[in-house]
Amino acid sequence: MVEFSRRTVLQMLGAGGAMAAASTGFARNAFAAGRDKEMNILCWEGYNSAQVLDPFRTEFGATVKAESLTNDPTMVNRLRAGETKVWDLINLNNPWARKLMWPEKLIKPLDQEVFQPYFAKMLPEFKAPFHWAMSDDGKDLLGMAQRFGPYSFVVNTDKVSRKMAEDEGWDLFNDKAIVGRYGVQESDDWNVFDMFLVAGIDPFKVHSEAEMATFLATAKRIYKGAKLIGDMASLNQALISGEIDLYLTGGTYSVSPARADGYPNLRGITPLRGPMNGKGGVMWIEVTSTVNNPNLSPLAPKFLQYVQRPEVAHTVAFAEGTFNPVSQMGNPECFKLFTKDELEAIQWDSLSEEMARSVAYDIVPDYEKALDLLNAAKRERG
Amino acid sequence: MKIHALQIQDAAISGTAKKSRGPFLTPGARCALPVIVLLLLGFAAPLTAVIAYSFAEPHSFNVFSSFTFANYAEIFNTENTVWMSFLWSLSLAAVTVLILSVIAYPIAYGMVYVFGRWSGLVSILFVFPLFISENVRLYGWVLFFIKNGVFDGTLNLLGGSDAPEVLYSPGIILFGMIYTYLPYMLFPLVLGLSLLPRDVVDAAKDLGASRYQVWREIELPLAMPGFMIGLLLTFVLAVGAIAESKVLGGQSVIVLTHDIEVSFTYAQNWPLGSALAVLITLITGGLTLFMLFKLDLDRVLGRK
Repeated sequence: MVEFSRRTVLQMLGAGGAMAAASTGFARNAFAAGRDKEMNILCWEGYNSAQVLDPFRTEFGATVKAESLTNDPTMVNRLRAGETKVWDLINLNNPWARKLMWPEKLIKPLDQEVFQPYFAKMLPEFKAPFHWAMSDDGKDLLGMAQRFGPYSFVVNTDKVSRKMAEDEGWDLFNDKAIVGRYGVQESDDWNVFDMFLVAGIDPFKVHSEAEMATFLATAKRIYKGAKLIGDMASLNQALISGEIDLYLTGGTYSVSPARADGYPNLRGITPLRGPMNGKGGVMWIEVTSTVNNPNLSPLAPKFLQYVQRPEVAHTVAFAEGTFNPVSQMGNPECFKLFTKDELEAIQWDSLSEEMARSVAYDIVPDYEKALDLLNAAKRERG
Repeated sequence: MKIHALQIQDAAISGTAKKSRGPFLTPGARCALPVIVLLLLGFAAPLTAVIAYSFAEPHSFNVFSSFTFANYAEIFNTENTVWMSFLWSLSLAAVTVLILSVIAYPIAYGMVYVFGRWSGLVSILFVFPLFISENVRLYGWVLFFIKNGVFDGTLNLLGGSDAPEVLYSPGIILFGMIYTYLPYMLFPLVLGLSLLPRDVVDAAKDLGASRYQVWREIELPLAMPGFMIGLLLTFVLAVGAIAESKVLGGQSVIVLTHDIEVSFTYAQNWPLGSALAVLITLITGGLTLFMLFKLDLDRVLGRK
């Protein structure tokens, strides 16, 4: 039997403590000395997947950490709260880089000589100078565009035809006949847009008291009549089982996994018309920017170049979670990697017309007030 | 002489005590140091941050640098309907606890007195689901109850009738909570009942007590400490429940934890979310302290 005296135990503990202190000291030194082998990404799901990151880790011998979140405001505020020291890349929807992160000096511009040529190979909607990737004055390139998609609502075309859904657009949700037959996705930032659109009001402007009152009345009605509020997996499941016939908010991003699983009758719909200068759909485009990190990893721009490669862009499009079109599909080398089924899953057949009928996701000027009303409306469900 | 010896002994004891206190801390305090540090870092620090945030300017991150009651004023504003969420959370938790106590008592009784050697297996059956993520189990129930799902399909196969629509309602939220929190009520109750001295029950029977009298005047009061711990544990957990309302209930009612989540995410109003969290902590904390005040922990742990 091994006997330990108090002295030997204390000696062992002391030695252990010293080693732990030394190792953290080494880590800190490594951190301060240079970060050429490590990189941290704050992103939407997909970029944090092993399919995307592992080949990069191997090729560059890098330690890559990625955290995935599912709403933009949280990610922006992580940087605002001082995490610019932590992250090297941030991947968000289109308006944040140009309208908020660049004015607040949370991100750094990219080298235009290196990155502008990539836009030439993208789909026509992304040709340089791409509005959402540029600073207001048009001088700085603030990020790279990759995944995108229309995002309005989703129907089961066996129950509501695509033609009728596109034609009626948001008015479909004003029809009393669908009470109890639809769901609402729990992405409240997008739901703010949608409640305005169902009310026939442009979401992306400052709203009058009367418009806000209409918004509240609409939100109350929509929430009261909804069968369920849920995540996209629950909503797709409810569509497949027949619990509901349609849901908002939704589009390629939310319905593509179900379509890929063999349910092509479920389809993202972009209305033919609406209150946003005649347009009825909303779309999103992700812009990935380098964070204004005082010790930015040199791997960050390398990663942005890495995801432009045709095969990696294809992997990003079909990374775990959701399947989405990517801007690099404008490059024939990339496009040919997509199978017929994959194109079917992301509704390639109607993608360009749906994008043309949509306005880009934007910041609602009176978002806080609208969100408070939205949550009050939600509470009245019970 | 005797007095002298005692004085010497006293002096020796006090000398030892002084010596063992050492230059800084007593051995007891030194042993408690890791726990104190852990509590300060893991419990007091986050709680302080949440309390401090609740007094920060709304929609800001000016914690410790601003002070306002605006967040509390917003919650108590008569136009604000967040009281509905408080009400739903507290009433769902109260009903869950009530139903659980009725369900768990006979099972616990059975495990202590009736099942004999099978009670180990019964324990495992109740513990086993805890190894699977709560969300996965709840999504499993959705697949069971959903239209054309397992339940509906089986009924159709057997009798041709459709299953009743139970998903996306407050009732199914309650079901989910009862299902999730059953073990947390059951095992404290088992502990409470197993500490009950059998002799007392036998004595009561020998003295002519009826079965009801034995239960009412012997078993229940003696098992009460375990029962109280079960009530407390399940109530505190159930007040914080969110997955049942989201996954099974389709948010047919909005619980307080959902409002807190929205404040910290989509609304990015951490101060308001913190104020809501502080208020619900005060309510559950007050209840816990009240119950603990009433409760004799030494008896529960069998030290008396």
